[in-house]
Amino acid sequence: MKYKKITPYLFIAPMIGGLALFRIGPIIASFVISFTRWNVRTAPEFVGLGNYVEMANSDIFWLVLKNTLVFTALYVPGVIVVSLILAVILNQKLKGIAFFRGLYFMPYITSMVAVAMAWNWIFSTRFGVLNNVLKDMFGVSHPPAWLADRNYALLVLVIVTVWKTAGFYMMVFLAGLQSIPSHIYEAARIDGANRFQVFFKITLPMLSPVTFFVLVFSLINAFRTFEVTYAMTQGGPLHASTTLAYYIYRNAFEFNRMGFASALAYALMLLVGLITALNFGVRRRWVSQDIY
Amino acid sequence: MTTVAIRARELERARLERAARTVSRIAMYVVLTVVSIATIFPFIWMLSTSFKSQGAVFALPPRLIPDRLFTPAMWDNYVTVLTRYNFVRYTFNSFFVAFMAALGQLVTSTLAGFAFARMEFKGKNFLFAILLASTMIPVEVSIIPEFLMGAKIFHPIMQPLGGWLDTYYPLIVPSFMVGTFGTFLMREFFYTVPKELEEAAVIDGATTFRIYWSIFLPLSKPSMTTLFLIAFINNWNELLRPVLYISTKDLYTLTIGLTSFKGAYEAQWNLLMAGSVISILPLIIVYIFAQRFIVEGIATTGLKG
Repeated sequence: MKYKKITPYLFIAPMIGGLALFRIGPIIASFVISFTRWNVRTAPEFVGLGNYVEMANSDIFWLVLKNTLVFTALYVPGVIVVSLILAVILNQKLKGIAFFRGLYFMPYITSMVAVAMAWNWIFSTRFGVLNNVLKDMFGVSHPPAWLADRNYALLVLVIVTVWKTAGFYMMVFLAGLQSIPSHIYEAARIDGANRFQVFFKITLPMLSPVTFFVLVFSLINAFRTFEVTYAMTQGGPLHASTTLAYYIYRNAFEFNRMGFASALAYALMLLVGLITALNFGVRRRWVSQDIY
Repeated sequence: MTTVAIRARELERARLERAARTVSRIAMYVVLTVVSIATIFPFIWMLSTSFKSQGAVFALPPRLIPDRLFTPAMWDNYVTVLTRYNFVRYTFNSFFVAFMAALGQLVTSTLAGFAFARMEFKGKNFLFAILLASTMIPVEVSIIPEFLMGAKIFHPIMQPLGGWLDTYYPLIVPSFMVGTFGTFLMREFFYTVPKELEEAAVIDGATTFRIYWSIFLPLSKPSMTTLFLIAFINNWNELLRPVLYISTKDLYTLTIGLTSFKGAYEAQWNLLMAGSVISILPLIIVYIFAQRFIVEGIATTGLKG
């Protein structure tokens, strides 16, 4: 198409302008702010690596980092297994399958705050339905206090997040499964492969590019877990469920420690960057390159 | 072996295979049903609690069928939440913010998507790479300067228009200007439009904007619907920016209306659940009617983006 040289730039200007103003600019600014002490009311004060040193010496930071890693280590395999199983089942030709597919995806579009309220109520210690079922039907005399228990709060956040997001990854897996050509399955069947062989020798390897995407995406999202923490535990009890993103939020907007919070944000970005780079680094070892 | 025996054995094997298929089919429905219950139970419990009286909320053992169901008092919790606790207002606010932000995203994303798909220009690949890379960077990294910039620069400048803090500008403007997802979605669609349509218009002397406006936009209605719906959902559910920017109660959106309500009335689970139902019901209704657009949009662009 013929157009004036300036035309494409006019078309992308609002979008690129917004990106520069609200994303790229702030990402750079955040790096600069991370070398200052700034409570917003007074002028920022340059402290060099002070915030990073403080971070390295802070027990809470290491605990928060540990929480984030534990959350990720539980959430990512959990959501991948659950969503993959659901996708495999939904890939069968069964009556009413569209209904189930629509249903499983539903939690993904609902507001985390609203469903977190429902989960809060379900996990409530004395009157919550879960503990009463555990008591009355399974004879557990002292069920845990879940959200108020240091050993369980983070686990509850994992469960709720898997519940909320599995439908999304299920859809992604399903799209991947449906793009595997059926003649490959037929060939395997003629060769006498059983279901498990077909799944492990054909489906999984053919699906590996999709699995790779799900892995990268779910890892990034796990590291930036914020809403579920905000809505369910506020990081408690005693930091037991504080995730890194939530800790950044508190430092910046509750304690007015913009410099320290920015340093934390960069720690988060480094973590996300490292894990993503690692993923792409080992990609060739297990992801099929030339398929279909 | 006689042919009769062989035939009998074949029949037997076919019968067994059929039986195995039926069993596995039943097993699958069992799994599907169990997962359905796990998926839907929080919603059911939310709904059930929202129709209970305060006394029934704390009755042990808990009951699934609410005590006020089909009584004159059935809707009391909803009336209380909507009127006394201002949820009518919050719902309207959420709707306004989500609608404006989604509309804005439609404009910026179709413009940028059109340029990225159909034009050649210097720096195109570089800019698109930046666009994609920026989606990988957590919002926590940019939100602090974004907030400070809003407080220190935009707020004073925008005073004649009501300022920036405690207005809807910071909820709408960044969201509609940073439509990376939408740009990607529209670019994918615009790629598929045949070149001939465009060439015919050029011969007729149409301007580039006219081609975008009268040829590409009308063709992309399904993609635009998808984009609008997804942007609407995301903005409706947005928590962080309302928490940061909105302090006047009348301006609360549902997400912060609900969290602040929880802080103030911790044990009023029936009212809280009524509020939760109010804040998810509109989206569920939209989802039921527009499932195709939403699911495909999220699954396919998620896959590629």
